[in-house]
Amino acid sequence: MTSLWVSFFLLPSFFLQAETNQRNLAADASKTGKDGIEFFDKEVFPFLQRNCFKCHGNDPHKLRGHLWLKSREGILKGGDVGPAVDLKDPANSYILKMINYTDDEHQMPPKGKLPQEKIDILTKWVLMGIPWSPGTGEARPESEKVATTEINEHTRNYWAYRKPVRTSPSKVKDTQWITNPIDGFILSPIEMAGLAPAPMADKITLIRRATYDLIGLPPTPEEVDIFLADTSPDAYEKLLDSLLNRPQYGEKWGRHWLDLVRYAETNGYERDSTKPFAWRYRDYVIDSFNNDKPFDRFIKEQLAGDELDEVTAETIIATGYYRLGIWDDEPVDRKLQKYDVLDGVVTTTAQVMLGMSIGCARCHNHKKDPILQKDYYRFLAFFHDVTDMNKKNTIVVKDAVAKKKQEAILKAKKAKEEKLYEQIRRFQKDFRLALEDNLELVDVKLSDLSDDDDEEESKPLVADARHKGKPGPMWSYTSKNPGRDWMKPGFNDKSWKKGQAGFGSRGTPGSIVRTNWHTRDIWLRRAFIVTKLPGSLALDIHHDEDAEVYINGKLVSRHRAYISAYKRFNLKTEAVTALTLGKNLISVHCRQTGGVQYIDVGLSDSPARVDIAELVKKHGPELMGASKTKNYFSWKSELDKSLKAKVKSDGLTVMAVKETGRRTSPHVLHRGNPHLEGEKVEPGFPSVLGYPDPVIPDKPGPTSGKRRVLAEWIASKENKLTARVMMNRIWQHHFGRGIVSTSSDFGLFGVQPTHPELLEWMTMEFMDNEWSLKKMHKLLMMSSAYRMSSKDNPVALQKDPRNQLFWRFNMRRLTAEEIRDSILAIGGSLNTKMGGPSIYTDIPMEVKHTASRPGAAWGRSSKNEAARRSVYIFVKRSLHEPFLRTFDLADTDQSCAARFTTTVPTQALTMLNSKFLNDQAAIFAGRLKKEAGDRPEDQVKLALRLAFQRPPKENEVKRSVEMIQEFQKTDAKTLEESLKYFCLMTLNLNEFVFLD
Amino acid sequence: MNNKPRSQFCGRTRREFLWEMGAGFGSVALSGMLESDFFTSQAVAADGLTPLVNPLSIKKPHFQPKAKNVIFLFMYGGPSQVDTFDYKPKLYPLDGKTIKVKTFGRGGRKNQGRVVGPKWQFKRYGKCGKMVSDLFPHLGQCVDDIAFIHSMYADSPIHGSAMLMMNSGRILSGNPCIGSWVTYGLGSENENLPGFVVMLDHKGGPISGAKNWTSGYMPAAYQGVQLRPSGTPILDLAPPPGMSREMQRRLLDRLNQFNAEHGAARPSSSDLAARIASYELAYKMQMHAPEAVDISKEPESIKELYGLNQKRTFDFGKKCLMARRLVERGVRFIQIYSGGGHNDDNWDAHGDLVKNHTFHAGNTDKPIAGLLNDLKQRGLLDETIIVWGGEFGRQPTAEYKKGTGRDHNSYGFTMWMAGGGIPGGVTVGKTDELGAHAIEDRMHVKNLHATILTQLGLDPNRLSFFFNGLDQRLVGVEGAEPIRQLV
Repeated sequence: MTSLWVSFFLLPSFFLQAETNQRNLAADASKTGKDGIEFFDKEVFPFLQRNCFKCHGNDPHKLRGHLWLKSREGILKGGDVGPAVDLKDPANSYILKMINYTDDEHQMPPKGKLPQEKIDILTKWVLMGIPWSPGTGEARPESEKVATTEINEHTRNYWAYRKPVRTSPSKVKDTQWITNPIDGFILSPIEMAGLAPAPMADKITLIRRATYDLIGLPPTPEEVDIFLADTSPDAYEKLLDSLLNRPQYGEKWGRHWLDLVRYAETNGYERDSTKPFAWRYRDYVIDSFNNDKPFDRFIKEQLAGDELDEVTAETIIATGYYRLGIWDDEPVDRKLQKYDVLDGVVTTTAQVMLGMSIGCARCHNHKKDPILQKDYYRFLAFFHDVTDMNKKNTIVVKDAVAKKKQEAILKAKKAKEEKLYEQIRRFQKDFRLALEDNLELVDVKLSDLSDDDDEEESKPLVADARHKGKPGPMWSYTSKNPGRDWMKPGFNDKSWKKGQAGFGSRGTPGSIVRTNWHTRDIWLRRAFIVTKLPGSLALDIHHDEDAEVYINGKLVSRHRAYISAYKRFNLKTEAVTALTLGKNLISVHCRQTGGVQYIDVGLSDSPARVDIAELVKKHGPELMGASKTKNYFSWKSELDKSLKAKVKSDGLTVMAVKETGRRTSPHVLHRGNPHLEGEKVEPGFPSVLGYPDPVIPDKPGPTSGKRRVLAEWIASKENKLTARVMMNRIWQHHFGRGIVSTSSDFGLFGVQPTHPELLEWMTMEFMDNEWSLKKMHKLLMMSSAYRMSSKDNPVALQKDPRNQLFWRFNMRRLTAEEIRDSILAIGGSLNTKMGGPSIYTDIPMEVKHTASRPGAAWGRSSKNEAARRSVYIFVKRSLHEPFLRTFDLADTDQSCAARFTTTVPTQALTMLNSKFLNDQAAIFAGRLKKEAGDRPEDQVKLALRLAFQRPPKENEVKRSVEMIQEFQKTDAKTLEESLKYFCLMTLNLNEFVFLD
Repeated sequence: MNNKPRSQFCGRTRREFLWEMGAGFGSVALSGMLESDFFTSQAVAADGLTPLVNPLSIKKPHFQPKAKNVIFLFMYGGPSQVDTFDYKPKLYPLDGKTIKVKTFGRGGRKNQGRVVGPKWQFKRYGKCGKMVSDLFPHLGQCVDDIAFIHSMYADSPIHGSAMLMMNSGRILSGNPCIGSWVTYGLGSENENLPGFVVMLDHKGGPISGAKNWTSGYMPAAYQGVQLRPSGTPILDLAPPPGMSREMQRRLLDRLNQFNAEHGAARPSSSDLAARIASYELAYKMQMHAPEAVDISKEPESIKELYGLNQKRTFDFGKKCLMARRLVERGVRFIQIYSGGGHNDDNWDAHGDLVKNHTFHAGNTDKPIAGLLNDLKQRGLLDETIIVWGGEFGRQPTAEYKKGTGRDHNSYGFTMWMAGGGIPGGVTVGKTDELGAHAIEDRMHVKNLHATILTQLGLDPNRLSFFFNGLDQRLVGVEGAEPIRQLV
C-alpha cells in the first residue's frame, strides 16, 4: 500500500529528470543516445525479458492484449488499449500506469508489483524516450492473414450472407418417389451416390413418429386404430392436421424454443431467487405455437413487444425474453454485470435468430467469421437502454379481458353506491321535513341542514396547514413588496420563494409553523383546481395580524387584528362567482406590527354545517321510527365501506422489458473490459451483411425505439438469415439433425449445409407462406423423405454411415420430457391441464439436500398437479429436476440448439430404482387391471400395445406372462406385485424410449 | 484430447463438431471422448455387440502425469489466512487500532478498518520450519508434505460468484466445474463408480447448490455425483424395497430378451447396444459403490487416525476415509465440503471469529492430517493431489464496530496443496504485512487450476471443449500457467 503512494511521490522528480534528459538529448543526441542504449542493454532489456516477454513477446499466437514488447515498434504501436509508451507525453505512458498498479484494472506484471528500484529503472527508460539498441529483440512476426475474418467481396458472398433465392430440385430417376419438391432435393444426391432411399415406414411407425414429433406424446391405441382403419389416400394428411391442431403441439414445440432462449425461472447465484411470473412467458411461447403465430410476428413481439403499434398484454409478456438470463444479485462489479447480462441478450439473439456467433466478438474481432468487435457493440447498442435486471423485472399490464372485467366491477360498485346514496338522501329529506314540524327539539337553522350529504367527505379546494398530508400545502411567497397586481392571475411570481403553510413565528397560539416568517409583510400566492363550481364558499383562516384574501385577483375577505385559532367564515356570493372551472388563484397579504405572527388560509366549498347524522342519532328513532333509523345507519356504513374499498387493479403482473428513458450509446470495450472504454458506437447490423445503418426514429417516448428497429430488421423477408435459420431448426427437429447441423452457427465455425439448395427452397417457401410454422411442418412431414423407414441398408451404411444423404430416417431416443410424459401417459395418470404457474414434482430428499437451504429448495404440488407435462415443471437454475437432468435436459444458462443424448448407467439406476418409476409402474399396473381384466395375458398385451403402439408378438406375450409367474414363484411376489414389476420392465424397454 | 497445433486458436477437430451437434447424431456415449474417431466406433458398433463406451472411459493424458486423482477439501465460507497458515507477527500488536488498508468484501469497498489481531499463536513445525497456527496441531505435523500458496487472489469477494470461480474458473454461471474438466479429459479408472464425486456437509450444500459441481455446457455425464456418507451412497443406487438382487437380475434378463430382439432388427444402431450395456453397468455399480464407501471393515487404528473415535471429527473423518477408499478404487476427482448452508454453519466468520474457526478447524484438523498420513503410508499420496482452501480468505480488519468477525477477502488468501508430485515443505508467494493483499508471486485461481491439470498430465491451455464459437478452457481462452514452483 505504502509503496504505491511513495511511487506517486517519486514520479514528479523523475519527470524533472526526464525533462533534463530530454534537453540533454536534444543538445547531444549521440552522447545521450549512447548512454541510453547502454542503460537499455544493461538494465532494461534483461528486465523486460524476465518480466514481460512471456506474455508479450515469446509466442505471437498467445500475445496478451495484442501487445508486443520485444521491439521498439511494438511498444509504440501498442495493443488493445493503445500505445504502451507515448513519446509525446512519456510520463503519462500506459506502461507506467500498469507497473505502478494504479488501480484494479492496471496491474502489471500480474504476479505482483515490481520492487520500487525496478519501477524506477523502467520509468527512467520511458522518460528517456525508450532508447533501443539496434538488433536487440525481435520484430513482431506478421500475423497470419485469416482472410475469412475480413469483410470483402469474398466473405460477403458466403452462402449464409447472400439473399436466399428460389431453387429447384434436380431431375431424378425415380419420379414415383417424389411427393413434394423436398423429395427431389433429397433423392437426387442419393441416386447420384448410387443408392436408393429406404422403403416407406409402416403406418404404425408413422403414427408413432408423427405423434411424438408434433405433440411429444405416444398415440393412444384408439388413435392408432382409427388411423389404421382409415384407408383413404388422405388418411395421413388428416392425421397431421389433427395433430397440428392439438394443444399439446405448442407444449412440444414451445419447449424447443425455450431451450434456445435459455428459459429458466430463477436468477442463479447465491439466492437463486425466482423470476416472478416467468411462466407467463412460457405460456406465451406455447400459445404462440398453438396459434401458428407468424414467426416474424413472434420475433417482433419478443424483441419489441412494448414498442409495437398495438401493444397488448401478450406482446408485453413476450418481452420477458430479455429477463430470462442469469443474474447475480450481488455482483462483484456492477458495470461488468450490466455487460454480462447484455452479452447474454446479444449472444442469444444473434445465435437463435440469426445463426451468427456475434458473441465471439465481445473481446476482439471474431477469429473465423467476418464479424468485427465493433459489430458486437453496435448490436449491443440496440439493447443498451434496457434497464438493469432486478429481483422483479415486472410491470402490470391490462389486457382487453382484464380491462373489461375491471370496468364491469367499477360500474357495479358505482351503481350500488348511487342506490345507497339515494336511500340516504331520501331518508334525510324526510327527516328534515319531520324536523321542521318539531323545531322545538333542536337548536339549528334549517338552512344549515343540507339535503346533500356527500360534501362531508369532500376535500377542501385549498387545504390549510391542519391538512394531514405531507408535505403541507405549498405556496409561493415573498416578503418584499411585489408592487401592484401581485394578486392577479397574470402576475409573474417566478422569483418568489416556495414554502409550506403556515407562515409565521413559532409560539403563535394555535399555529402550525412550517415556514418561518419574521418580516413585517408577507404576500402569498397559490393555484388550485376547481372541477365543479360550488354553491357556496367557506374560508378557514388564522391570522396575526391584518389579512386580505383575494380569489383570482378579486378581494373576497378582509380581516383586522389577530385571532388565536382557526376560524371559519362563509364568503359572500361574489367570492363564489369569482371562481372559474379549472385553474384558480388565491392570494393573501398579511401585515403584522408586533409580537408573534402567523398567517394561514384554506378554502372549502362547503359551508359550516350541522352534522345531520348526529341529529338523526338523537331524534331519528322518535321522528322516523327505530327500524328506519337503523336502516339509515346501515346504508351509511355500507356506503362508507364501499367508498373506502379500492377496486383491485385486475391487471396482469408480468415479467417484461423496460428502458431507462435515456438514450445512450455504448463504447467498444477493449478486451471486453467495461473499464477500458474505446470509441462510442451507434446501433448497427453486422457489417458483412451489407445493410445500411439503421435510422432510429427521433420520437420521445418511454422507450428509445431501437429494439423495434432491430426487430423489424430481423423479422423481415429482406433479412438474409432469419428465415433460413428457423427453417433449418424445423428440419432439425423432424429429421434428427439440421441441414446445417450446427443450427445456431451458420458461420465458419459451424458445419456447412449438406443440402444447401433444399434449405434455400424451404426458406423461400417459409416466407411465401407468411412465416407459418404449421404449414412448414406439414410440408416436411408430407414428404417421402419424412415417411421413410429407419431400416438398415448395408450398402448405404457402408457408403454413408452417418446418413449425410438422408437415405433413411434417423432413429432417435425420446427427450427427457417425452420419456417422463410418456410414462405418465401410458400409465393413464397424465394431467393435461395447460398453463399457469409451474409445478413441482416429488423429488428425493437427497437432491433437496444439495441446496444451502434444503427446506426452501423445492416446492410441493398435489399429486394431480405433479402429474402434468414436463414443460410445466419449475425450472430452477441451481436445482434441475433430477429425472429430466439425468436424461439430458438442456442446461439453462446458455442457449441450447441441440441437446446431448447420453447413455450412462445413472439413467438405468433412475429407470429401475427411483421412486417415480416404481410409483408409476404401480399406477400402470392398476390401469391394466382396470382395462384388461384379471388375466395376465390380456394385461401384458395391453401394456405392450400402450408402450409400442404395435400389437405384441406371441413370444413377447408368452415371455411376459412367464416373467410374472416367475416373480410369483421364485420371488414369492403376489400377482399384483409381479404385474407391477413387469410394468417396470416395460417402462425400461428400448422400444419404448426409442423411435424408429 | 484436443491435440491440434496451438497456432490454430479457434480451430476445431471433426470430433468437436459432433459435440456441438448434440442430439443430431448417435449418442455422445459413443462419440466424443474416444481416442479413436467417432466414425470408426460407429462402424465397429454396427455389429450390435459392442459394449458400452462410457463417456467416462479412460483417456490418455497429454503427457506423463505425476498424479492420477484429486481430493479437493473445500473450506466453504472462506477461512482466514492470518489465523491459519499465513503468519503475520506485525498484525498482533495492531489489534484494535484503526489503520489505512484497502479492503473489498460483503460490506463493500473500504479504505480503513480496525485491525483484529490474529486470535491464535503460531508455532514452528517440521523440517521446513513452517509457522502454523494453533488451530491445526495435527496438520502442523504434516507441513513437510505441504506446499502453501499464500499469494492466492480471485475475481470476487462475494460467495455466489467466488464459489463459481473456485469451482469453474469463472464468476459467470453455466461453466463446467474442475471435476467435470478432469473427468472429461481423463475419464474415470473405475467404470463401476462415478468419476467425479462430491460429499457435502451435513448442514446442507453450499450456496448455489449443484452449480458447484455442474458440467455446464458439457454433457450431464461429467457432472459431480453426490455421495452420501450414510444410507444409500448414490441417488437411486439401491433397488426399491422388496426387490432382491436376484429378482432384479431376472428382471434385467427379461428386459435384455426384449431389447435383443428389438436390436437384432436394427443392427446398425449402436445407441441401442449402448443402452443395454448401461443397464449391466448399473447392475454392477449397485454392488461396487456400497462396498467402496463401506468403512466398517477398516481397522480401528485407521478409524482413529481419521478421528472417527471422536464425535466432533467423526463426520468429516468418515468422508476423508471414504475419499481414500474411492481413490484406491480409481475415482478421479473427489470434493469434500467442510461447512454448508449459511453463516456460521461454514467458515464464513462475520461475527465471532474465534468461535467459528475453532469449530470448523477442530472438526477437520485431525481428519485431514489422518488422510495425508494414511495416503502416505499406502504410497497413494504420490499420485493423489490434495487441495485445501475456500473460495477466498478473510480481511485483517474487523467487519463491524465490535467483535472479531472478518469480512471476505479475495485480494489475498492462502490455499495449500499436497501429494501428486507437489513438493512438500514449500511456501509460494507472500501477502503484505497485514495479510491483506497478495504482493509477491501472485497466483490467480486459474493458476491453481492449471497446476492441478498439469500434475494430472493435462495441458491446461490445450484441454478444451468447443462451445459457443470458442475453444472453452477451464483456465479461460487466454490461458494460464501452472505455479512453476509446484510442478
